[in-house]
Amino acid sequence: MSDLVGYLLTGLGIGSGFALVASGLVAIHRVTRVVNFAQGAFAVLAAMLTSTLLAAGLPHGLAEVGGVALGAAAGLLTGLIVLGPRRDSPGTTPGTALIVTLGLGVLAYAIEVLIWGDQPRSFPGVPGVAEIASARVPAHYLLIIGVAAPVFLLMALFFARTDLGKALSACASNRYAARVVGIDVRRMGLLAFALGGALGGLAGVLTTPVQQVTFDSDVTLIVNGFAAAVLGGLTRPVVALGGGLLLGVTQTLAAGYGGGAYQVEVALVLMLTVMIVQAARAR
Amino acid sequence: MRLLLLGAVTLAIPPLLPERHLATFVLFALTATVTVGVSLLMGYAGQVSLGQAAFYAIGAYAAGLLAVHGAPPVLGLLLAPVVAAVAAVLLGAPLLRLRGHHLAFATLAVQLILLSVLASADWAGGAIGLQGIPRLVGDDLGYAYAAIVVLTLAVLVSRNVIASRPGRALRAAATSEIAAAASGVPVGRHRLAVFALSAAMAGLAGGVYAFYLGYLSPGSFPVLLSIEFVVMAVVGGLGTVAGPVVGAGVIIVLVQLLNTLGTQPGMPGYAPSVLSYAVYAIVLITCVLYLPRGLVPALRRLRIPSRAG
Amino acid sequence: MTAVEVTGLTVRYDGATALDGVDLTVADHQAVALIGANGAGKSTLVKALSGLVRPASGTITVNDRLAQVPEGREMFPDLTVDDNLRLGAWRRGRRNRDTQRLYELLPDLVPLRNRKAGALSGGQQQMVAIGRALMADPEILVVDELSLGLAPLIVGTLAAHLRALHTDRGLAVLLIEQNARLALDLCDHAYVLEAGRIVLHGPSAELARDPRVTDAYLGAGHE
Ligand SMILES: Nc1ncnc2c1ncn2[C@@H]1O[C@H](COP(=O)(O)OP(=O)(O)OP(=O)(O)O)[C@@H](O)[C@H]1O
Ligand SMILES: [Mg+2]
Repeated sequence: MSDLVGYLLTGLGIGSGFALVASGLVAIHRVTRVVNFAQGAFAVLAAMLTSTLLAAGLPHGLAEVGGVALGAAAGLLTGLIVLGPRRDSPGTTPGTALIVTLGLGVLAYAIEVLIWGDQPRSFPGVPGVAEIASARVPAHYLLIIGVAAPVFLLMALFFARTDLGKALSACASNRYAARVVGIDVRRMGLLAFALGGALGGLAGVLTTPVQQVTFDSDVTLIVNGFAAAVLGGLTRPVVALGGGLLLGVTQTLAAGYGGGAYQVEVALVLMLTVMIVQAARAR
Repeated sequence: MRLLLLGAVTLAIPPLLPERHLATFVLFALTATVTVGVSLLMGYAGQVSLGQAAFYAIGAYAAGLLAVHGAPPVLGLLLAPVVAAVAAVLLGAPLLRLRGHHLAFATLAVQLILLSVLASADWAGGAIGLQGIPRLVGDDLGYAYAAIVVLTLAVLVSRNVIASRPGRALRAAATSEIAAAASGVPVGRHRLAVFALSAAMAGLAGGVYAFYLGYLSPGSFPVLLSIEFVVMAVVGGLGTVAGPVVGAGVIIVLVQLLNTLGTQPGMPGYAPSVLSYAVYAIVLITCVLYLPRGLVPALRRLRIPSRAG
Repeated sequence: MTAVEVTGLTVRYDGATALDGVDLTVADHQAVALIGANGAGKSTLVKALSGLVRPASGTITVNDRLAQVPEGREMFPDLTVDDNLRLGAWRRGRRNRDTQRLYELLPDLVPLRNRKAGALSGGQQQMVAIGRALMADPEILVVDELSLGLAPLIVGTLAAHLRALHTDRGLAVLLIEQNARLALDLCDHAYVLEAGRIVLHGPSAELARDPRVTDAYLGAGHE
């Protein structure tokens, strides 16, 4: 029983990371129709910068904010390249955009290895072990949950309550109508990319203390994020959140009870099943 | 006539190359073979595969395992594309219902699963790898010719597919599925056939690769390799016969040049990998943004006016 | 003063000419009808006026604030009616996005305010589309196909609203309509567009008697 509680909490912590990556994917995809393969790279860049800032003596909190800011900047830059640099740029089609973001992910490898090398990196998070319902859980997992939950709440409020959030949703709902009422669809796309970058960055800085990053950790992150997001058709943030948590818990349970070997496969098989079922339903 | 000339030049290259460039040449011909399949798949079936290295691996492991267990190397080599194609048919039946980014991620998932299975499979050498694969031919020159044969085969097959009626129908289907379905073309079956064919090409190249290296491990087939195939296909020009070969050639030469630069004394140890990532990324992005149809179509357009004038 | 002045407007889509040297003027507070068959280029003109397509040549001068009710209503289907309306005022800044005055103007929308726009009937959506355009506080309203796919009774209500906005508040109107009788009835002046060119224009009353108009646009099928 206490094992189960422990696994659940750990799983929710890991799942929050997936959910953050997933909601970044969804934020970008809803507004721009682009599936951003560089989403995992935002997390890696943010985590790497944070480790450097911490090593340089910056306090916790500030260093993480720096990492998230880099994630947002990388997101914005990705958006500028994908959507075109000028206001009336034609931009790329969603199919081409996937290829471009793929290339940007590889570009991030070059930058990361150049600056931070190719060895795994990590930094300390919240030390110690918390005891909840007689389960012992590394305290950092609780921090992840404790930060991710309000972030999701803020996002929900942003989309539901602010005009800017509604304008973003409007672009997702009907791009042509958005242009008719004078919303600058491209600028909203850039905003979505920056937001997606920040969310990816946050995932990176939150999970690195419990799961070290290498420059190519982005593949695992993007695959898990995509698996979570695809549950909601890449357009429904709440489903993506649920999907991320479910994935985290399932993986932790599989690792805990199944001997630790099949964590990634759980996400992959789940993702394949969901997509095939969705495709079968669509016809 | 042009073809004959091209063939003669190609056959004359390997003996002229110094030893270390011969290795690059083998790598180029094998990579180009896989890329021919990727280009066919992307250009003619309109599908992005981010897992083509999986079929390369399947072919390599099939050939390697057979040879390690005493089968004659040639048999292993012949079965490599068959095994890869069968795997593609089995996987393709459910996966090819998916489109666009869904299929891209599905193929990526397949590769990750395969890598993880291989890494934990004792019969395949696990994470350490499969060792002691016998040689297929004596020296690197022999492998260069084997690779040329394999590449030529892939190019000829791809040329026939492109010129065939189903090929033209698929090309139409890549742009408008509804129109193609309405015209009564069995798009689904053709698409599966192209998927299997591209897997067979990857598998065949993988077979040669296994004998050439003499050693296989899951680490030889990273996701990045699949991405590299896509980059080469896109850079060269999707759905053209020469595109994948040119794309693979240009990128491998660039990477090789920068690799020489990166391993100069005084360069940091990470320089070669940084430079090669940068090449892939920058060539791809520049190409997609400025030459969206790829190098080969762009070069063709350059030549037509100069001929007329 | 003119609200909108278009001279020599030519618009092409990938080489196909949709508008060919169109001249058209809407004066302040004037109601103008634009009639023409399917594919004549009416919606293209609307898009050009709102800057959604780029002219190949010609000039478009829009002196007054312009808002459009697009063809097919173009709701934000996943957003509530109230959010649809608010976004109509997107350009005007946050302080001017209060929907209260609009509900006073179009009370029919009050019971719908929290419904998803995608779940409304065609007539209700057209009302929302008009309301959303009015939220921009326009001086000229461009309506593309007021009656498209709607029952006559609802068209009557919408037309009455439009007439009231024009006569009581002095809103200039450019009305694109398949139902030529309705358009000529509502507007003082009318243009006839055929295959991208203006072939006729003048006071509505005159056009309504012109045999070229009566034969082509006011036949029995257009009752
Ligand atoms: N996005 C587009 N791309 C290419 N051609 C277009 C596009 N939009 C319209 N056209 C063409 O331009 C011409 C004018 O179209 P437009 O929509 O302006 O006509 P319309 O008068 O509004 O017709 P309707 O009464 O059917 O709404 C048509 O021949 C149409 O096929
Ligand atoms: Mg129209």
